[in-house]
Amino acid sequence: MDYGIEVRDQEAVIRLRGRLTFNDHAKLRILIGEMGQNKLKRQVLDLSSLEFVDSAGIGMLLIAREEMDRAAKQFVLRGATGQVKRVLTVAQIAKIVPIED
Amino acid sequence: MFNPAAHDAVQTGLAIAAPQDVSAMPDGAAKVAVTAELLSTWLGFADVQRRTLDVVQGELTRTSEHVETSTLDLSERFRELAQKALEQSERVAQIVAMAGSVDLDGERVPLDTLVVGMQDVITDMVTNIVTLSRHAMSMVYLLDDVQKDVAELEKSIGDIDGINRQTNFLALNATIEASRAGEAGRTFAVVAQEVRHLSRSTGELAERMRSKVTAVVKGVRNGHDILRQIANTDMSPQMLAKERVDKTMDSLVAQTTHFQAVLETAASVSSDMSSTIAHVITGMQFQDLTKQRIEAINDSLAIMSAGLGELETQIRAQVPAGIGTREPQEWLNQLMGRFTLSEMRERFVRRLLLEGTALDENGVLDLDAAGGGSAGGDIELF
Repeated sequence: MDYGIEVRDQEAVIRLRGRLTFNDHAKLRILIGEMGQNKLKRQVLDLSSLEFVDSAGIGMLLIAREEMDRAAKQFVLRGATGQVKRVLTVAQIAKIVPIED
Repeated sequence: MFNPAAHDAVQTGLAIAAPQDVSAMPDGAAKVAVTAELLSTWLGFADVQRRTLDVVQGELTRTSEHVETSTLDLSERFRELAQKALEQSERVAQIVAMAGSVDLDGERVPLDTLVVGMQDVITDMVTNIVTLSRHAMSMVYLLDDVQKDVAELEKSIGDIDGINRQTNFLALNATIEASRAGEAGRTFAVVAQEVRHLSRSTGELAERMRSKVTAVVKGVRNGHDILRQIANTDMSPQMLAKERVDKTMDSLVAQTTHFQAVLETAASVSSDMSSTIAHVITGMQFQDLTKQRIEAINDSLAIMSAGLGELETQIRAQVPAGIGTREPQEWLNQLMGRFTLSEMRERFVRRLLLEGTALDENGVLDLDAAGGGSAGGDIELF
């Protein structure tokens, strides 16, 4: 997995690409740190280019949400498709994190 | 054919019933001339007609009995059919009642309740997987940090060693300098000696700490490895299995609903069948009416036959013995042409040929020609 951050007027959009698995846990920790440091209140994780997420990846997304909560920032998941969308739906992540199309 | 014209009475030269006093007779008994041929023709006809009427009566009775027997048999079978249709609809109704639920520990649980229950269980399972994954990742991050801290600790112990070596070196230098100073440095030499002791103790402490820290590091690394294995076990396929289970359950419920609908229709059709058959049985009562009609017809035929026989006897009494009966061959042929059923034809022929003969007296005519092939009923006489 790799990612790019785009800071806009109202929100920071972080686009994830490839496969989000356990092996990315160090990289995701750095990303969470970067999200906490930028000044914007709204942090959007753009998942439209993410092809696959494993159960550890879901765990990491939930940790990211906790960290954003702690930093008093809004955390949003956007544009999930395919396997990623299915896993998010089955896991009922929408009950915990706002999900946008 | 029964033309009463008497134009060729002279040809025959035969007088029929010649009473002496015509005027003495009542009006209807006036004499007329009839040819012998016509008379014998009439007698032949009368004979055949009477027998034919007998045969027809017999056939009508036989037909009426046949219809009665068959109708009773049919009614009985239809009643059985109606009963079976009723039983069928009860059985189907039982299935309908059972189809929507399953037996669980002796309790009937509606299928949709069961499905919702199972879906809830799987939802809980998926939620647990998600929670577990999140905790596992938190632990991984925590142990990542602990490993960094422990490495830091190892480095710090190394630093203590360095400081200790320096302290020891300084104490050694101080001892040398103290001995050089002679008596004046004696006290200082004691201090330097104490510092060296202290340094040795610190060195020993650092060593003990290093051995403990090494054990901790080893334990943390092992734990970290195990945790990584746990967190690296992807449970997303198991989570996605919920999709399949949900679809299966929905399909199961839909199928059961469909079966129930079909079975309900089947039950109502069976019930309809049963009531239709009841109507059919009522309809079979036509036979009773038919029987009464045939009996009435037979009675009138009997009267006609008796009348004909009486008339025939009267005429026979007045006709001279020389005049015989002429068989109406053409008429018989026409009649025979109507009897297409061989057994009926056979009965008719027997009646014509055998009535009044010695065989008749032996009861041959009472035999049922339709009794079957073994009774000789198959013989075609015409």
